[in-house]
Amino acid sequence: MTDLPLVGFIGLSAALLAIGLFGILTRRNFILLLIAIEIAMNATILNFVYFAAYTGGTAGLTGQSIAVVLVGFAATEVAVGLAIVLALNRLKGTINVAQATELKL
Amino acid sequence: MAGLSGILEWAFLVPLLMVISFVVVGLAGTRLKRLEYGGWIAVLFAGAALVVGVLVAAAEMLSPGQYVNVQYTWFQLPPAAGTFPNGFRLVAGTLVDPISALMLLVVTVVGFLVMLYSIEYMHHDRGLARYYAELSLFLAAMTGLVIANNLFEFFLFWELVGVCSYFLIGFYYEKPSAASAAKEAFLVTRVGDVMFLLGIFLYFYTYALAGPGNGWAASGFVFTNGNQPFLAGAMGGNSTLLTVAGIMILGGAAGKSAQFPLHVWLPDAMEGPTTVSALIHAATMVAAGVYLLAVTSLFLGFTATDQLLIVAIGGFTTFFAATMAVVHSDIKRVIAYSTISQLGYMVLAVGAGFAMVGLFHLFTHAFFKALLFLAAGSVIHAIGTQDLFKMGGLRKPMRITAAAFAIGGLALAGIPPFAGFWSKDDILGGVYSQLGTHPLYWPFFLLAFAAVFLTAYYIFRAWFLAFSGDGPRDPTLPHAHEGSWVMQVPLIGLSALAVGSGLLIFWPNFQSLLLNGAGAAGIPPVFGPTDLALSGISVTLGVAGILLAWRLWGNGRVYVLPESSWAQPVRRLLLNRYYFKVGYDWIGQRGVYSVARAADFVDQFVIDGTVHGFERMFAALSERLRRIQSGVVSDYAAYVVAGLIAVFVLLLLVAPYLVTLVGGA
Repeated sequence: MTDLPLVGFIGLSAALLAIGLFGILTRRNFILLLIAIEIAMNATILNFVYFAAYTGGTAGLTGQSIAVVLVGFAATEVAVGLAIVLALNRLKGTINVAQATELKL
Repeated sequence: MAGLSGILEWAFLVPLLMVISFVVVGLAGTRLKRLEYGGWIAVLFAGAALVVGVLVAAAEMLSPGQYVNVQYTWFQLPPAAGTFPNGFRLVAGTLVDPISALMLLVVTVVGFLVMLYSIEYMHHDRGLARYYAELSLFLAAMTGLVIANNLFEFFLFWELVGVCSYFLIGFYYEKPSAASAAKEAFLVTRVGDVMFLLGIFLYFYTYALAGPGNGWAASGFVFTNGNQPFLAGAMGGNSTLLTVAGIMILGGAAGKSAQFPLHVWLPDAMEGPTTVSALIHAATMVAAGVYLLAVTSLFLGFTATDQLLIVAIGGFTTFFAATMAVVHSDIKRVIAYSTISQLGYMVLAVGAGFAMVGLFHLFTHAFFKALLFLAAGSVIHAIGTQDLFKMGGLRKPMRITAAAFAIGGLALAGIPPFAGFWSKDDILGGVYSQLGTHPLYWPFFLLAFAAVFLTAYYIFRAWFLAFSGDGPRDPTLPHAHEGSWVMQVPLIGLSALAVGSGLLIFWPNFQSLLLNGAGAAGIPPVFGPTDLALSGISVTLGVAGILLAWRLWGNGRVYVLPESSWAQPVRRLLLNRYYFKVGYDWIGQRGVYSVARAADFVDQFVIDGTVHGFERMFAALSERLRRIQSGVVSDYAAYVVAGLIAVFVLLLLVAPYLVTLVGGA
C-alpha cells in the first residue's frame, strides 16, 4: 500500500488539528468547545489510521487497534465533558466558559 | 603590723561589696519601703566598704611602700615575630599601692557619708531603689577603677563610671533639662573616652612592638613599681608615639575631669540630685581623670611635650573656670565651677611632675568639696531654691550648715590651717620650683596663682549671699530648718576632715604614703609650707578675696554692677560661659547635624532607595504577570499551544543551529 499519497493525508489531519485548535482557542460556548476538541482529537486518530495503512502488516495492526481505543477514549471524554456542561449550567446558569473563572486564585 | 598587710590582697572586697549592694537594692529595693527602699542596705554595704577601705589605707600607711598585686591571666598570645615579639598578655587583677590606698580611702569615706546623707535628703523623691542601686554601682565602678592593675581594666571601670554618672545626672529624667544634661555629660566625656582608648592602644602597640627586656607586654601591662624610668629610657624617652599616646590620655582625663575645652558638661551636671553632685565632684567621676593622669605619670611617664601640655591645660582651666564662678547665681553652679578650677590645680601638679601632690590635693579637695555640696544641699533641702539672690540670713536658723559651708569655703580659699591650704600651697610651690623647665610654665603658673584670689572671692560671695544678712531676700521662701542627725553627721564628719585632712601631712606615716607613691618616678615632693614667701602671697591673695567678697556682699549687701560699667561685657561673657556651650551647640547643630542629615539622606534615598526600587520593580512585574492568570480555560489552552509552538521552534530551528555552532554532526 505504498502508493498512498501520504503528504496529502498528513496535510488533511494537520488541517483538522488546526481547525480544532482554532475552535478551542476562540469558542466560548462549552459545547462548541467540546466539538472543537473532538475535531482535534480525530486529527490524531486519523494519523494513526494513515500510518497503519502505510506501514501495513502486523505493525499496521498496532496502529489500527490504537485508533479503535482512541475512538473509545473520545467517547468517554465527550461523556465527561457533557457532564461538566450540565454541572456548569447548574452552577452558573450558563455554559459560557469565559465566565467560569474559578481557576483563578 | 604585718598582720594588717594581709588586707591588701582583699581590697577587691570594696567593689565587690558595692556590686552586691547594687544587685540586692536593685532587685529588692522597691519592696523595702521600711528600709528607705533599700537605702539603709546601701548605707550598710557602703559602711562595710568603708571599713575595708580604711583598713587598706591603714595597712598601707603603717608599713609604707607596699605594692600588692593579685591577678590572673585574662588571655595570652605567644611571642610572634613581627607583631608581638615579646608576646601579648592581658591580665585582670587588683593592685594596692600607696596611691590606690589613698584613693580607696577618699572614695569609701565620701561615698559612705553621701549615702548616709541621701537617706534624708532624698526621702521625698520617687525612684529611690533605682537611686541607691545606681549609687552603689557608681561606687563599685570607682573603687574598681582605683584598684585596677592595668590600663585596660582601668578603662572598663572608667566606662562604668561614665555610664553611672549618666544615670545619676539624669535621675530626674522626666525633666527635659536633666535628661539633656545627662546626655551632654555622656557625650562630652565620650570624646575623651575615645581618646583614652586610642591612647591605651598606642601604649600597647608601642610597648608590645618594642617592649624592653622580657617585655612589659608579656607581663600584661601591669602597673609596676619603678617601671617608668625603665620604660622611658628604653623607649628613647621622647618618642613621637609616646607623646601622642600621652596627649590621648590627657584628652581622656580632660573629658572625665572637665578640663578645658571639655569642661562644659560639669556645670550642667548639677541637674542631678545634690548628693550625686557631691559624689561626682569629690570622689568619683571627676577624680577618675586626675587619677588616670597621676597613674600614667607614675607608671608610664609623660614626655616633656606632654608635660608642658598638661601644665597648660591645668593652669589655664584653673583660672578660666574660676572666672565663671564669680558671676553665677546658682549656688550649685558656683561650686561646680570651683571644682573645675580645683581640678585644674591637680592637673597642673601632675603636669609639673608632682603627681603625688596632685593626688594630695584631690584627697583634701574631696572632703571640702563634698562638704560644700552637702552644705549647699542642706540649704536647698531647707528652702527649696538654688538661687543665691533669693537666700540670705540663713546663718541663724542653720548654724551647723553655715559653719560647715564656711569651713569648706576657708579650705577652698586656701586659708591655713584648713586642708586646702596645704595641698594647694604644695602645688604652687612645686610648680614654682619647676619654672626653669620651660619658659611657657610661667604664664600658667601666674594664672593658677591669680585663681587663688578668685577662688576666695567667689566662694565667700556665695557664703555671704546665702548666710549673712537679716533674712531671705525672697520672703516667699519657707522657713529654714536644720536637717536631722542623718544630714548633720556627714556635715560634721566632713567638716572635721576639711580641717584635719591637710594636717595629716605632718603625720610621718601619711607623708610616707605620698612619698612612696612618688618613689616610682618624678620629682620627690616636699610637703608642708615649701616657700614661705610664696605661701605668704597666696594666703594674702586668699584673704584679699574674702575681704572683697565681704565688702561687696557682706551683711546682706547686694552689689549691683552699674549698667555703664566697663565690666558689663565681661560679666555677660562670663554669664554666657564664654559662649562655649553656644559654640558646641552650634557645632552640634550646624556641623554634626548636617553630616547626620547627609547620612540620613544617603540612608533613605540611596540605600533604602535601591532596596525599595527593586521592591517596586518586582511588584510592578508581578502585577503584570498575574493578569495572565485569568481563570478562563481557553486562555490556558492558548498558553499550552504557545508553549508547544515554542518547543517546536526550538527543536526545529534553534537546536540545529546550536549543534552546528559546537561543531556537531
